[in-house]
Amino acid sequence: MSTRAEFLRRIRAELARTPALFPATPSLRPAHPREVADTIRRELSERWPATLQRFQQEFERVGGVLHRVATVQEVPSVVGRLARERDARDVLTWHPSALGFDPARGLADEKLTCRTMPEAVPDAAARRALRDTIATTPLGLTGVDVALAETGTMILRSGPGRPRSTSLLPATHVAVFDRTALVESLAQVAVLLEAWHADEASGAVINFITGPSRTADIELTLTRGVHGPKDVHAIFVERPLRE
Amino acid sequence: MRAALMITCLGDMLFPDVGVAIVRLLRSLGVTVEFPPGQTCCGLPLFNSGYHAEAAGAARRLVEIFKDAPYVVVPSGSCAWMVKHEGPGLLKDTPLAGEARRLAERTYELSQFLVRVLGKTRFGSRLRGRVTYHDSCHLLRGLRESATPREILENLDGVELVELPGHDECCGFGGSFSVRLPEVSSAILEKKLTNVEATGASCVVACDAGCLMQMAGGLTRRKSQVRAVHLAELLEP
Amino acid sequence: MSEAELATPFRDRAGRALQDGFLQQALTIATTKFLELRREAFGEFPEGDALRDRARAIKEATLQRLDHYLEQLVDNVERLGGHVHFATTPDDARRIILDIAKRTGTRMAVKSKSMATEEIHLNEALEAAGVTPVETDLGEYIIQLAHERPSHIIAPAIHKTKGQVADLFARELNRPNVPADPEVLTAIARAELREKFLQADMGITGANFAVADAGTVVLVTNEGNGRMVTTLPRVHVAVMGVEKVVPSMTDLAVFLAILAKSATGQKLSVYTTLVRGPRKPEELEGPDEFHLVLLDNGRIAQLGGTLREALYCLRCGACLNVCPVYRSIGGHAYGYTYPGPIGILLTAMLNGAASVKDLAHASSLCGACADACPVRIDIPRMLIELRKEVDEKKIAPWSERVVFTLVAWLLRHPALFRLAAPLARVFQRPFARGGRIERLPLFFGEWTRTRDLPAVAARTFSERWAALEREGR
Repeated sequence: MSTRAEFLRRIRAELARTPALFPATPSLRPAHPREVADTIRRELSERWPATLQRFQQEFERVGGVLHRVATVQEVPSVVGRLARERDARDVLTWHPSALGFDPARGLADEKLTCRTMPEAVPDAAARRALRDTIATTPLGLTGVDVALAETGTMILRSGPGRPRSTSLLPATHVAVFDRTALVESLAQVAVLLEAWHADEASGAVINFITGPSRTADIELTLTRGVHGPKDVHAIFVERPLRE
Repeated sequence: MRAALMITCLGDMLFPDVGVAIVRLLRSLGVTVEFPPGQTCCGLPLFNSGYHAEAAGAARRLVEIFKDAPYVVVPSGSCAWMVKHEGPGLLKDTPLAGEARRLAERTYELSQFLVRVLGKTRFGSRLRGRVTYHDSCHLLRGLRESATPREILENLDGVELVELPGHDECCGFGGSFSVRLPEVSSAILEKKLTNVEATGASCVVACDAGCLMQMAGGLTRRKSQVRAVHLAELLEP
Repeated sequence: MSEAELATPFRDRAGRALQDGFLQQALTIATTKFLELRREAFGEFPEGDALRDRARAIKEATLQRLDHYLEQLVDNVERLGGHVHFATTPDDARRIILDIAKRTGTRMAVKSKSMATEEIHLNEALEAAGVTPVETDLGEYIIQLAHERPSHIIAPAIHKTKGQVADLFARELNRPNVPADPEVLTAIARAELREKFLQADMGITGANFAVADAGTVVLVTNEGNGRMVTTLPRVHVAVMGVEKVVPSMTDLAVFLAILAKSATGQKLSVYTTLVRGPRKPEELEGPDEFHLVLLDNGRIAQLGGTLREALYCLRCGACLNVCPVYRSIGGHAYGYTYPGPIGILLTAMLNGAASVKDLAHASSLCGACADACPVRIDIPRMLIELRKEVDEKKIAPWSERVVFTLVAWLLRHPALFRLAAPLARVFQRPFARGGRIERLPLFFGEWTRTRDLPAVAARTFSERWAALEREGR
């Protein structure tokens, strides 16, 4: 077993022998990422229709299905249709504070059982039971922190009321977002990542999700839903969720 | 205009007709061709196998042999690459460092010399029919040259240039690789020749003696009708 | 590969691979597909070239201050509730992980694909200690069932046909009559492995990157197993080579922009997972413990060594897919954890130059690898350096050194060199017909077994020059 000090000592000794192959510097970082992020968001809010169009193009390219509704009240009917197509009765959802709206009533109207993730953390036994629930529910409904148009990616941060497996264990993942989530490029996401990591309040994981789970490990034949969801749906709500 | 011919070891011993064709071609374009004596080899086989001190010796000799030549023309992309890219590095801590760099600047592979120095792209052709072109690795990736041979071939009257599938894939020669791992070298060659024959061309053209040796060796062994020829063998003076 | 297998000379292993019809077909299809996908992806991505230059610069800049960035990483990981361990040798790494397993009562560990864990032969050690390792990446799962090693850096089972996989599942999973249908086979793996994810005590992953400034480990995957393995079990262990650290999130984005494109042609892999330590107390799920095992295993020594540039490697596999040698012989023939062009360099890094005395020559130096590499690693240059090291350390056979020394001497003496042609003409007379030689004895037969050789010309160019010169006057 080695110590940190030994490692560093050896590294420094080697670097003293050949310090550089050529002059190089790491990327220039924004000095005030939160401010730059706010500026980006402000500028993007002007062009959201074009960004949405690009997102749809890329999202569909990786096998996602995009739905558009005018208001959040229509979300449950989309979920209801997807559930019926899959002979499913149960839907897992993030806590309303994480979703930005409460779908429970609407889903009940669609004759679906809504299993809402709790915001507070219960004891270990309850958490295990919750996990079993998540593992056996066919649809998972989440929000979206960032909808990245360049690649058709949805970025979801973990945290209270928004456990990671909601978008992982169910066979169908449905994500709801509005124009405020739209971002154009990976370069812009980099600024957001810089801003976020200073935010101690958020959860331990950030997940970038680009379409359904896939593999081509057997004879390079593409198959979906290896371990993660077999299909991924995104519902874009025209009227912003948090006004 | 004066130019010196660097014949290369393989060119001298195995493909002298190519050298002769180049001399006559250049003369027809108004170039006085010199052939400085004492040429042996650019040292690439030594360099590639890691014998760098020995390769530096070969580089040194080249710098001296060609010191009075305003241009040096080389029929093989790999040898041209050796002089231009590795020569200066091998001699960088010696008194010949500057000379080596200057030699590098004056050295050209044949098609590069014809097109980029003489500005000539139209030539008469000694053959008619369909031809295809193989990009040799050192010319393509070392010297970053894929245009000049094609420009010449495309402008040859009576010749139809067909793009070779996998034209940028190695032929499997690799110098000593061809005899250290002959089975792998031959398997790679098989793929190349299958592609060549699929084009329906009567010949495959290349600008490197090593590639030509490998491809011709495979083509005659399988009694193919297709010939492997050097670019210079197609051009009419 | 086992000691016994490595005892077979590389040339023979290569020869066997060339005779394997299934393998040849699989290799051609897979590598062609991957390289076409990569070309297409970069074809539509004009910023790609500039980003590759950026990526290379970031890697070099990071190495230049590797001590600083690793310290920063360690501090941040610890601040966020994780534990960092330092493993100089594979044995160190195995012991660290086994200790964690023992202390946490781990009986079964689910693994996401990690070449670093292959490097340290972790699975064998876990099994010996009574911990069951379960590979969950479909390709790794397949080869684990088959008791084989991966044959490609990113597609470990490309050497297997669907029929072979079906037979394997039927036999090992006790499921008779499994059809050779990738959809069905995938569904079986999904079901089998989901149980394992839910029951496992520990999740073991590698790490594609670790962001120093944010104490964050990054996993780039497609199947979802990377997420499963870092969400469901109570302990997460990430094993990572020290060279994988990157300074900031801004730097990370540069790599994310080019990694998946280089590996599979995707803009991004399906899942990019940024893990910042164990679960926060206010989170419902996630491991209670996070351990980062920093692995040296020969890397640090190369910071000041000839293979330093190889430390830029992103493990994308692009060089394998374009290498004429890899495409002919596949991964197993190389005999070590990492195959293909970069594999030769990594093997030398991990096992010393002597281990690649044959592999260093398993290359025609065509340069396709350097062209394909997203961080522009000059692999051919380092292969030549390795050859040089093998010569200088007298690892190359003496007969070869004698030949090359002789050749070098000949090249310095043109008068003697000029004798070579007439001598050759004498020796070749019994063998030359119509300007060609079809058979030569001894060592020269290596060429003529499969190819003709041009005969030395009746008159060399040098011998014809006098007449040619007169012609010109």
